[in-house]
Formats: sequence, structure tokens, C-alpha cells
Amino acid sequence: MADLTISSLNKVFGNFRAVDDVNIAVRDGEFVFLLGPSGCGKTTTLRMIAGLEMPSSGRIEIGGRNVTFLRPRHRNVGMVFQDYGLYRHMTVFGNIAYPLQVRQMDKATIATKVGEVARTMQIEAILKKKPDKLPAGQLQRVAIARMLVRDANIFLMDEPMSHLDAQLRGQMRSELKHIQKSIGTTTIFVTHDQLEAMTMADRIIVMKDGRMLQFATPREIFERPATEFVSSFVGEPQMNVLDCVLATSDRGLVADCGAFPVALDQAWCTASGLRPGQTLRLGIRPEHVSVGAATGADHPVEAELYSFEPTGAENLYVLRAGACEVTTRNSTTDTAHLGKTEGTRLAMRFDPEWVYLFDSGTGRTVAQAAASNRGSRS
Amino acid sequence: MSGIDTRITSPDAPPVQRNGWVYLVLIFVCVLNILPYVWVVMTGFMDKAAAASPSPQWIFTPSLEAFQLLIQEKGIMKNFMNSLIVSVASTFFSVTIGMFCAYAIARYDFAGRDDVSFWVLTNRMMPPVAVLIPIFVTFQTLKLLDTLPGLIILYTAMQLPFVVWMLTGYFRDIPRRYEESAMVDGDTWFQAFRKVTLPLMMPSITATAIFVMILSWNEFAFATFLTSTEAKTMPPAIMAYSIGANIEWNVLGAAVVLITAPLILFVLVMQRHLISGLSQGVARK
Repeated sequence: MADLTISSLNKVFGNFRAVDDVNIAVRDGEFVFLLGPSGCGKTTTLRMIAGLEMPSSGRIEIGGRNVTFLRPRHRNVGMVFQDYGLYRHMTVFGNIAYPLQVRQMDKATIATKVGEVARTMQIEAILKKKPDKLPAGQLQRVAIARMLVRDANIFLMDEPMSHLDAQLRGQMRSELKHIQKSIGTTTIFVTHDQLEAMTMADRIIVMKDGRMLQFATPREIFERPATEFVSSFVGEPQMNVLDCVLATSDRGLVADCGAFPVALDQAWCTASGLRPGQTLRLGIRPEHVSVGAATGADHPVEAELYSFEPTGAENLYVLRAGACEVTTRNSTTDTAHLGKTEGTRLAMRFDPEWVYLFDSGTGRTVAQAAASNRGSRS
Repeated sequence: MSGIDTRITSPDAPPVQRNGWVYLVLIFVCVLNILPYVWVVMTGFMDKAAAASPSPQWIFTPSLEAFQLLIQEKGIMKNFMNSLIVSVASTFFSVTIGMFCAYAIARYDFAGRDDVSFWVLTNRMMPPVAVLIPIFVTFQTLKLLDTLPGLIILYTAMQLPFVVWMLTGYFRDIPRRYEESAMVDGDTWFQAFRKVTLPLMMPSITATAIFVMILSWNEFAFATFLTSTEAKTMPPAIMAYSIGANIEWNVLGAAVVLITAPLILFVLVMQRHLISGLSQGVARK
């Protein structure tokens, strides 16, 4: 167990900057996620922590020890690979025991340790089998067991669940979170699946093009995204983002999206220093757009139903008003009375408490949603 | 579309495949291949008179006359041993050296890597006869003519490109993850290579070794020119019985049996490895 400090880490492949000035301080026992689209540098960062890739510059410390350019075997980290990296010529027992045999532990100790880990991961029944005879879910468990069996300082996981089907993934999420908390070893987990990161992480690092965009708790990432990219990468369905120009109307400052104006919270506008004439990007999550049957005071924006997607507990209405397309997410009971055929005339309302504004050039958040400013964060 | 008859509907059962005729073709090809060999083997067990008879003799009294002549008078077992030593040793060296070379080409990114692998391939394209004279002169200078080490060195060099080319592909098929995983688990690079990669490569290495062994065993041109008495291998030794005015067919037949029997036995024993090795990385994904 140890903390992990990464300072100004860079990795350059030829002309390509895979990792660009990454700074991370992970506390002992934390479960931290590197989240980002493929090619964003998250796996390269992880491989540099493991020692499989050498940094171009920067410094990596595990438990206060400088390991920047050490070989993997001197770092004492445990790792699970995306395709598990299990040795197919050895049995499951052999696979889990391998790191212990390398350390020349005696047979009895190895057997006890492997037995314990196998119990934790519930794979005692398959210890004598070869990996190629096992389904993906079991392989996953074996790979995790092999990581757990050592008293590693840090656990590293590289998209370990990407080969599991959705159901198993859900199971593994809660199980892995539980195991991580009960063992208490600092863990870095790489994923491109925002749901995995949101549900399991203590803190999430969002990366794009080799750069860290935000390093915060899941709630903070979700409610106070640092950039437009973070806001639309996290959350399902994605946040609606529309081009808008700030304008003055008889009700004060509004965001004019072209087809319709969006009312804003005036106190919030003043606090955020917004001025009329600014060209920005307006963001609002689908759950903060409500749908109504007819245009009126409650639902001022007229729209046409483009597609209707029921998900069971919630209904997704994708609406179109002029050139703008807005996805909404509301509970099935609330929207039971609404039309569900494409082309139905409906109306919508944007909750001014949950409107975000982003810089249209840099994508940085200009104004966080009013509701998120009121100390509701954890 | 107009040519399709839309009135036809599906039959009640899927059409049955009738490909019994494939076996006829296979049997024909097998007979065509094996019959001449069977004939040569039979000749080997005939006595001189039967073998020289102008009409084919399908029924005869087997005799070991030809084998006796070859083994006891001509001492062909010495050539046999030479062949064995040369092919086993050159296989061992070319596979061992080639393995590391292939590993480097498959795993490491270094300047001129593609050029190296292309150069390795072009070595195979060159007809061996083209370098026969330079090699003869070199061997003469180095006093390697008619010695087993000379042949071993030469065959190792000849087979290396093939080994490198085959194994590079197989190494590429083994994900790096295996080694990386072992290295994170605490192995040095070489330990990871020996304990994880090599066992996974074993079927492919075996298959490559079998091929190389066969190629070395059968090599004729260089063996003919570079050996005379001491290091003569089987192919040139047997060649001696097929030239001249009166060829003794039964002696030639016996010689053919002696040179082919080890290979046939070897392949029969190893065929499972050969097939599994060749299909490595294809069948298993």
C-alpha cells in the first residue's frame, strides 16, 4: 500500500505527444480512474506507472520512492491487462501462483495464498483448469486473483472489463469496488466507459489528447465539468450542447439558440459575469429538459418529436426545434400521456438551474449550473 | 434481376451435399504419388536378377542382398551418420540463433528493422548454385572442405533466413501482454522469454525445426561439391549409384529406402506437432 505521485509526466512517440504534462497525486487506498476516449493517453500513462513504457520526462513516485525509470520488477505493482495476459500453457493455479514462484516463496505458502485469493474471487473450483477452457468472466476473475495474490503497493487495471458482457460487467463492478475497499490497496483503473468510472471511482481523471482535463470526484465531474468535453463524455445520454448568443429581452438576459431563446437565472448571470452579445455553447443534461404536450408558460419551446426511445423506467424523447436537436430523459409515468409517434408536436422547457455555458473556442466552462453552485456537492 | 424465377419456393429440407467424388480424386492422387515410391522400395528388396528383369516383377522372393552390399561393402552407414550429425546440428544452431533474431525483429523497433527482415527474405531467393564457387574457395582457404563442421556452418547459414522468417510471424502472433505480465510479476526480460514466451512458441518452433531438418537432410548441391570422402552425406553418396552404364536398380532402391526411411518415420511420429505448429495462431484466437 502506498500513495502515488506523478509530476509533469510526458511521453513522446516520434512527433506524437501521447502524454502531455500529467500531474497526479493519489492518496493511499484511493480508487482512481483514468477515463477518456481511445488514444487519449490513459493506457500509456498506466504503462508508465507499471514500467512497461519509459517516460520521456517527468517523475513517478510510489510510496515516496522514485520509480520513474525503474524496470517493472522493481516497482512492486500488480496489473490486470485488457486481454487478461494469462499464460495459456499453465493451469489457473499456476497462473495465480506465478508471481509468488518468481519471488521464490516455498510451496506451502504459495498454496495457502493462492487458496485465499481463490476464495475471495470464488474460483476455487477451476484452479486445475487451463485458461483456454474458461469463459471470459472466469478469466477476468483469474486475472484479478493473480493481481491480488501479491502484496503489491499499487494495483493497475487496464480496461479489464471491456470483454465482459453487460450483465457480468454490472456484477463485477460492485464486486471489484467491494474488494478494493476491503483490501485497501491504491488502485488505478483505466477505462473508456464513463459508467464504470462514475460507479466505482473515488476520483476520476478525465483525459483527452494526452492532457488531463479534470481530476475530481465523480459527483464533481458530473455536476461541475471543467470543459465541454468532460460534460458530454460523462453521463448517458450525453449532455445537449447548443450554440447560443447571449441577448437581452424583457425578462433579462437569455441565451438565444437560434430557433428559440432559453431563459437564464438572472442572479447567476450576474454572478458569472455574463454580458449580452457573448457567443457561447449552452449545455443542459437530458434529465433537466422537461417535455409537455403543448406550448405554454410551463413549456415555452415548441418542438417536433424526432425519435422516441423507451428504456423502461425512463423515456427518451429526441426533439427537434429548428436546427437544434435536444435529447430529453423523463420518467415513464411522467410522460405516459404524451404522443410517441415521430412528428408529434410537443413542447419543452430547459431548467434554468441546470444550464451550463461553455466557451465556444476553448471549450472551458464559463458558468457552472446554478444548482451545482449551491453547495450540493459532496 | 429479371432472370430470377420468382415462382420457385424453398424445398422442405436443406439440399444434401454429395461429395463422395472428392474421395475418388484423393485416392487417385495418393496412388499417383505413392506407387512410384512403393516400386522403388520393392526394388530395394529384390535380388540383382529380379531387379534387372525387363518386365516388372510384382511377386518375388525378398532379399537383403542390396542392403548387405551397401552397408557392409560400401560402408554407407558412415554417410548416414554424417547426414544425421550435420542435419541435427545445423537444425539446432539455426533454430537457436534464428529464434533470437526473429524475436528481435518481431518485438523491437530499431532503425533498419524492415530492411533487415527484407534482406533475410532475399537470401532465400538467391539460387544456392550462384555462390557455390565462392563458397568452395572460402572453404578451401579455411580448410573446411570435406569436414562436418564446415557443412554444419554452411547449412546453419542456409537455413537461418527460413527460420527467422517463419518464427518472426509466430512471435508476432503471441501478444506482448504475456511477457509484460510476467515482467510486472517480477521476472527479468530473459526469464519472461524463457518461462512464458518459449513454452507458447514450442509448437511453432518444433514445426520449423522439422522443416529445417528435412531441408538439411536432403541438401544435395553443396554436399556434392564440398565433400569427398570424410564428410560425405547421404544425397551425394546415393547419387553415385544412379550414374554409370549399368545401374544396379536394387542397390539404388535400397539406398533410397535408407535415405527416406528416417524422414518418413520422423514425420509420422511428429505429424501431430507439425500440424499444430503450423496452425498456431490461426486456430487459436
